Amino acid sequence: MITAGIDIGAKTVKVVVAGDGKVLGKGLVPAGLDTTAATEQAFDKALADAGLSKDKVGGIVATGTGRKDCTLTDREITEVGAAAKGAVQVLPSCRTVIDVGAEEGRTIRCNGAGKVIDFAFNEKCAAGAGTFAEGMARALQVPLEELGPLSLKSKKATQMNAQCAVFAESEVVTLIHAKTPREDIARAVLDAVASRIISMVRKVGFEKDVMVIGGVALNPGFIEGMKRGLEMEVFVPEEPEYVGAIGAALAAAE
Amino acid sequence: MGNQAVLDRETFETFRNWRVNRAEYAKAWKERTGRKIIGYFCTYAPEELIYAAGILPVRILGSHEVQDVTEPHIFAMFCPFCRDCLAQGLKGRFDYLDGITIAQSCLHIRQAFTSWQKHVPIDYSYYLPMPHHVQSARATPFLAKELELFKASLEEWTGKKITDDAIDEAVEIHNRNRELLWKVYELRKGDSPPLTGEEAMEMVLSSQMVDKQDHNAALEKVLARLSKRDSTRPTGTRLMILGSEDDDVEFINMVESCGATFVVDDHCTGTRYFWNNVESAGDRLTSIADRYVKRVPCPTKDWPDRTRVEHVIKLAKEYDVAGAIVMQQKFCDPHELDNPALTKALKDAGVKTLFLEFDVTVPIGQFKVRVEAFLEMLQDDDLF
Repeated sequence: MITAGIDIGAKTVKVVVAGDGKVLGKGLVPAGLDTTAATEQAFDKALADAGLSKDKVGGIVATGTGRKDCTLTDREITEVGAAAKGAVQVLPSCRTVIDVGAEEGRTIRCNGAGKVIDFAFNEKCAAGAGTFAEGMARALQVPLEELGPLSLKSKKATQMNAQCAVFAESEVVTLIHAKTPREDIARAVLDAVASRIISMVRKVGFEKDVMVIGGVALNPGFIEGMKRGLEMEVFVPEEPEYVGAIGAALAAAE
Repeated sequence: MGNQAVLDRETFETFRNWRVNRAEYAKAWKERTGRKIIGYFCTYAPEELIYAAGILPVRILGSHEVQDVTEPHIFAMFCPFCRDCLAQGLKGRFDYLDGITIAQSCLHIRQAFTSWQKHVPIDYSYYLPMPHHVQSARATPFLAKELELFKASLEEWTGKKITDDAIDEAVEIHNRNRELLWKVYELRKGDSPPLTGEEAMEMVLSSQMVDKQDHNAALEKVLARLSKRDSTRPTGTRLMILGSEDDDVEFINMVESCGATFVVDDHCTGTRYFWNNVESAGDRLTSIADRYVKRVPCPTKDWPDRTRVEHVIKLAKEYDVAGAIVMQQKFCDPHELDNPALTKALKDAGVKTLFLEFDVTVPIGQFKVRVEAFLEMLQDDDLF
């Protein structure tokens, strides 16, 4: 059976078309102001990528923060449930999923069937989310995609203590004035995000294997920070931003 | 999901109206009786004694509106509830009060009391040194002596003696109120409770705002109606809510619209307020003192033993809850101290918890995401 999973996130809409647990096509479109149009575009993209027409899709499930507004389906699961299902599909030994998106960070513990056992969200704090890294990249005048690679050049940890995005930016400015190398500041920023996320991870506890998903997982500097902080390997799937949509596509087949 | 509440609205309308129109009620009560009203800050205030003096005790609560008037008086990292309460005084929302009182509990709410004393014109105020170490054998005699002083102060203010008969009557009315609330709570133990958590909250909150005789009459009517209430509303997941001061009706409503029902609570706007009766423990003031010393404690007083943990687990079992929402008023230190122990005990008892940090306004959208994920997890548990 061909199904589709639609993940309407705070910043982007991700759609996966799947058949028998295999991803056949994918599409990602910025959510913008018109989520309905963005969802349809992402769906069309995924269908084109799979080389399938709409009528072949037997079931659709929506997830993500905007799932209630999805006009393509009224079936939905929470982003927590979708992430667990998707992660275990991608890596069957996965028991802890760390999902870091634009506006929220989440830790989910699951069993081998992809069922949620416990979870935690970061508490209303931008410092544990992608938007924070984006704002700090702006302050450093570095494109977001280059922030991670830049931070990897750093040889030295620099402390950044602020937990508020605005105050953190003023800490970045202070570091700039102190002539701190840009790569060290980049690392300080990403270590700060990793540290916020890790304190949440410790709250629910973690079990191997640990997978990091969501758009922020694409940032290698953040992933390094996670490994250093957790003192263990973490697994990052090839396209971490699609894992929630994969989970939704699996739910559609159930 | 998407449970539509199909319960009638009239049954609990009286309570809802009292809560929403509390100022109108209080003003009309004064007009009708020609007597005084005292506002109290925490449920350790001995309402029976105030009532026996012919005075109506009402609880001071916040408004859930963002405010900017308390910054000069209360530090920003004191809990939002105590700041919200003080804001109501500074804005004149409790202009019908003749006096205020507090029985010592936490220093945050005490700060709201002392700032009110200083900055809101008021005829009478009284600080009651309620002992902290309630587990001490000396606590009851200590409080009984303090109640003697409070009694004398009230008598001087009103110019009228508080008679033994008046105390007996006040105790009887308050005990009756608690017994009626228990009876309604008992009905929530059943498979399909005939009331929602939102209605229960409206009911207990309003009891802190109106004359207990009026409240008792309304409760008698509700009990008669509840037995016949058409409870076709699906119960969904049975939940408990516990933690700091909580009168956030909107939050309860949001959770209950996601396929769940709150069947019990441990709040000072719920069970902690009415769980214990005044029972004979010697003379009249000793009996009242004993009730406040031995009631289900606020975490400010629950040490060195943590007696509340056992009580909460007992409630969770008796009311057969699948999960518990632990709500934490931001910066409420006493509850922060208890939460790790409570969460662990609930987990050991097979009750999963969702921790949420409350502020003056609650981010309903953000919280809904968490609540739905929590309910989805609990519902999945049912399948296995």
